[in-house]
Amino acid sequence: MEDTKLNSNKKPGAPNYWLSLEQWRQDPEFIEKTKNEFSQSPLSNVETESGWARREFLKLMGASLALTTFGCVRRPAQKIVPYVNRPEEVVPGIANYYSSTMIEGHETFGLVVKTREGRPIKIEGNPDHPDNQGGLSASAHAALLSLYDPDRLVEPKRNILNKNKTNADMISTTYEKIDEAVSKAVKKGSVAVVTQGQKTSASKQFFRDFTRATKSQLFFIDSVDETTVKRGQRASYGKSVFPRYQIQKARLIVSVGADFLGTYVTPVSFSKQFSKRRNPDGDMNKLISFESVLSLTGANADERFQVKPTQKLTAVMAILSDLIIKKGRTSYSADRRVVRALKSFDEAIKALHLPEGAISRITDELWSNRGKSLVLSGGMQSKTSKALELQVATNFLNSVLGNDGKTIDYSQASQRGFDGGAENVNKLVSAINSGKIKTLIVQGTNLAYFLPETSGFKEAIKKLDLIVYLGDRNDETGRISDYIVPDHHQFETWGDSEGLSGVYAIQQPTIRPLYKTRAFQESLMKWANLSGMGPNRFKEESWYKYLQEHWKYNIWSKNRSVSFASQSFDDFWYELLQKGVFDTSRTKRSRSTGARNFNISQFSKISPSEEHKWELALYQKSILKDGALANMAWLQELPDPVTKLVWDNYVCISVQDAQAQHIKEGQVLNLKVGSTSVSIPAHIQPGQKSGVLALAVGYGRKGAGKVADGIGVNAYQLAQYNANEVAYSGLPVEFSSTSDYVELVTPQGHHSMEGRQIAIEATHDQYKHNKEANIHRHKIFSLWDKHEYKGHKWGMSIDLNTCNGCSACVVACQAENNIPVVGKKYVMEGRIMQWIRVDRYYSGDPNDPSILNMPITCHHCDNAPCETVCPVAATTHSDEGLNTMTYNRCVGTRYCGNNCPYKVRRFNWFNYTKDIKKPLNMALNPEVTVRVRGVMEKCSFCEPRIKSAKEKAKQDGRALKDGDILTACQQSCPADAIVFGDMNDPNSKLSQMFSEKRTYSLLEELNAVPALKYQTKIRNTDKLKTENSKKDQGGH
Amino acid sequence: MPKKIFGLVVLVVVVVGVVGFVKGLTSNATELGYNQGYEPDQPIQFSHALHAGKNKIACQYCHTTTEVSRHASVPSLNICMNCHLSVKTDGETINKKEIEKMTSSFYADKPIKWQKVHLLPDHVKFNHSAHIRAGKSCQTCHGPVETMKKVYQYSSLSMGWCVNCHRKPENKASINCGTCHY
Repeated sequence: MEDTKLNSNKKPGAPNYWLSLEQWRQDPEFIEKTKNEFSQSPLSNVETESGWARREFLKLMGASLALTTFGCVRRPAQKIVPYVNRPEEVVPGIANYYSSTMIEGHETFGLVVKTREGRPIKIEGNPDHPDNQGGLSASAHAALLSLYDPDRLVEPKRNILNKNKTNADMISTTYEKIDEAVSKAVKKGSVAVVTQGQKTSASKQFFRDFTRATKSQLFFIDSVDETTVKRGQRASYGKSVFPRYQIQKARLIVSVGADFLGTYVTPVSFSKQFSKRRNPDGDMNKLISFESVLSLTGANADERFQVKPTQKLTAVMAILSDLIIKKGRTSYSADRRVVRALKSFDEAIKALHLPEGAISRITDELWSNRGKSLVLSGGMQSKTSKALELQVATNFLNSVLGNDGKTIDYSQASQRGFDGGAENVNKLVSAINSGKIKTLIVQGTNLAYFLPETSGFKEAIKKLDLIVYLGDRNDETGRISDYIVPDHHQFETWGDSEGLSGVYAIQQPTIRPLYKTRAFQESLMKWANLSGMGPNRFKEESWYKYLQEHWKYNIWSKNRSVSFASQSFDDFWYELLQKGVFDTSRTKRSRSTGARNFNISQFSKISPSEEHKWELALYQKSILKDGALANMAWLQELPDPVTKLVWDNYVCISVQDAQAQHIKEGQVLNLKVGSTSVSIPAHIQPGQKSGVLALAVGYGRKGAGKVADGIGVNAYQLAQYNANEVAYSGLPVEFSSTSDYVELVTPQGHHSMEGRQIAIEATHDQYKHNKEANIHRHKIFSLWDKHEYKGHKWGMSIDLNTCNGCSACVVACQAENNIPVVGKKYVMEGRIMQWIRVDRYYSGDPNDPSILNMPITCHHCDNAPCETVCPVAATTHSDEGLNTMTYNRCVGTRYCGNNCPYKVRRFNWFNYTKDIKKPLNMALNPEVTVRVRGVMEKCSFCEPRIKSAKEKAKQDGRALKDGDILTACQQSCPADAIVFGDMNDPNSKLSQMFSEKRTYSLLEELNAVPALKYQTKIRNTDKLKTENSKKDQGGH
Repeated sequence: MPKKIFGLVVLVVVVVGVVGFVKGLTSNATELGYNQGYEPDQPIQFSHALHAGKNKIACQYCHTTTEVSRHASVPSLNICMNCHLSVKTDGETINKKEIEKMTSSFYADKPIKWQKVHLLPDHVKFNHSAHIRAGKSCQTCHGPVETMKKVYQYSSLSMGWCVNCHRKPENKASINCGTCHY
């Protein structure tokens, strides 16, 4: 019913591929907007804001012009200040690379940190690290910015608090005073230490040493609790492990709410594995997704089904029921307990309203891929009060399908801690309430931000005598703490990580501490020693020494037979610092393991959950995740891979619900869960399950800094804590609409491509039949002479089939190329500066669309339309096929931007980069010109990287070889979708990609002859959502 | 007709003014911003004529990074101390004073702030190592440094000066804009 109503709204001219609902509906306002690239005059805004009249502005401009003509006789004198003692390894102008590692949320990355003259300017993935394999997420890139964050604390602070722990009057203090006060409290006893769940063996040992010696308690608490997987494993198989999911071994993946490409546990590692099996010529995998909120995983799924959060368990049970009862595939069909549990879901399964025969088809496919399939569930959006049952049911399904021990490696797979569960919160709160804890030491976890009212934490802390926060800023937890002892940034201190079990990586400092901070480990050592309770191992008071000892006795000495550990410890240590990773698991990794026995009694306890009319799903955005890095402007301005909105938090509502409830885009809604309510603008999200409201966590920060504060609401406050479980999703919610509106901003609408052949997709069957399926080739001829490329001819290929739209490339490019952030207001006016954008196209019915992602950057055309219109020859063609920008020639006519068919040129309306003040300017890359106002800029194919690779090759006296040059986007792509290389080299990886039949040029008919080409997206489905019409398949 | 004459006079004045201004501007414009011959005072009267000329110390003994980096780099003080620990720790009065300036700032761990002589125009990148590798001698651009008591800018360092050399076929140098501007 609803569907037909919606479809009747579709105007005759509406496209099959669309970027926003406005475009799909062909709103007159939207059509008007697409005609202009920029929506407002820059001066009109300046006038209203600062009261500058236009005339006055012109007068001043005139005056300054006169001054520049007469005053510019010689430029100001500059100084050269060489070192007194130049460190041997520092060569001015040459970058140094240090291997390191980083723990970000639940993810572990092997890193290579690029430093120039002693300051980190870019982080890159370590290709030798088996976890991220050189890939890096958008948020990992932003960790660089957090080093230079102006909102970091530069010295120890004391907060004067009242009884309610609310008054945040901050004064400066000294380490001596803090050490005295805290060590006194430690001596008194009743101390608790709270830290993140994700711990390496060294830091686990360290905390154990501290708490044992000082007789204090230790709690692991994470912002997003992912312990359910472990507890589900224990319930199903008797042992608590976090299995290593072998996604690359699975031909068929069914994800029930687990957003493994976006937010679930280790998205970069999973994306690497997933994309390796996306080759349409090989044994291409298939992804089926059941979810409530359109996630990155759902957007990349070959088939996607919408269920409410509470129905996810039902979906798994439906598959099991069809497999066991209806088809009788296994002997479990005779097990009364199993049958009874499955039968109890009969009603609920009917209420799923999935398309006819869908479940039966899925079970057939699963059954034919026994041992080669994988069912995943978990993540925030499926963490309802029945999350544990969902895990047990998923485990059972995997066991029935024989996946256990094959695509699920449990043997040496206890990946990481994940000890920070909700039960620890309850233990902590009750210990405080009973008076057992008087002093609380919080390290690196922002308890006061993510623990909601229902956890009882906020009431409990009033009973505490002393709260000490080992954090980096006066954030939510800082504000309830008596002392804030600023910790080093992770690039300033030593550490290690163990992402996969047996894969150890070392974190080494790449810059001397910028401020008067102190490693938290050294703070704890100091306090233990001053209170007279320090263990022997703390006597040195050096965390570095402690870490090294730990590596010596617990890692090196136990793995002497593995790779480079056979040498002496000192040699081992230096080689480790160079390599960054010590992988002891490689020898064991290929060992096959048998299936475990599934504990049926746990499964028989599963009962259907109650479905609510309106369910709230809290979810993590794949960019901002849990909100710890919310103050990083790169992340705030990065368009969300799914909604494409920037700088905002919003509640997503389905298209049909919005229509039925008369809710408009940006209309503020009041949401109420239990006794907590929030007001938040609505975003109408195609592909969202009706009856579900979805709200992202990570916003509503207080004290995180100038960027994050004041954006959105803190959605954690709506989470429900009870007993040992926290429910983020499937929460019964009431809502009412208000008459207020908030403008939600996206840069997507104005890059509209007017329904031409842009992003091309085909089904796997179509592809097998015709490798050029759906590509409309053009007969073109040129009046131009062709360019001659005698040496290299650079080109780039982007595989739409592996690209999942995660947008890590955008931030990698931003970090490499000194690209400014412009803020919400100017994004609204079409002035976003990012050199790459990822266009997200919907196709099909807005209630159930399919999604296509397409990264677009400068195409470096041979017949570049921009070059011919530049009146000052500021943009020219190089003899290696690059379309280069000479910034100091550019006078800002913007003709080039106007004439670019791909809309990839960006104009500097203001002196953004010049306005970057200390210390943020330290993150700038000195190899890339910092652009000024009035200048056009665009992707350069990382020309400085090309140059430095050539330099290096010449230095080494060899020819440049394929793979020497990696562009920033290519380097961090977690899906390996981007290939850069020499088109003149027939053996280059690029030439191989270009020789694939599904390669096409964007807007080929314009004969711009771009050096950037795409490969068609191949879907492992029967039918495309646009099948009925051929309009967008090259119609023009 | 005084009005007409007045108008004519104004016109003549304006035309002469404009022509003069433009001429002045264009004739100066080629020189604008370039500092050929610029010879600033340095905090230490370091003589290249003495070190590189008389004592024949090779350029790259002190300017160590020339071969590997874009920057030739002004030497750090520990390089000076390589010799001045034993050589000429005292001498004629004037030299002694200058050497003492260097040694005292070395021991005080205080860097010396040299005046930059060769100031390239903005938005241009120049790479020393590439030019050294191409077999260009330092003197090609920097002039007879070994005779300079005080270093001055020998070449104009203008774009025309760069390009004239890059254009010569024997140099096999690239004349893409992106070679220097990126």
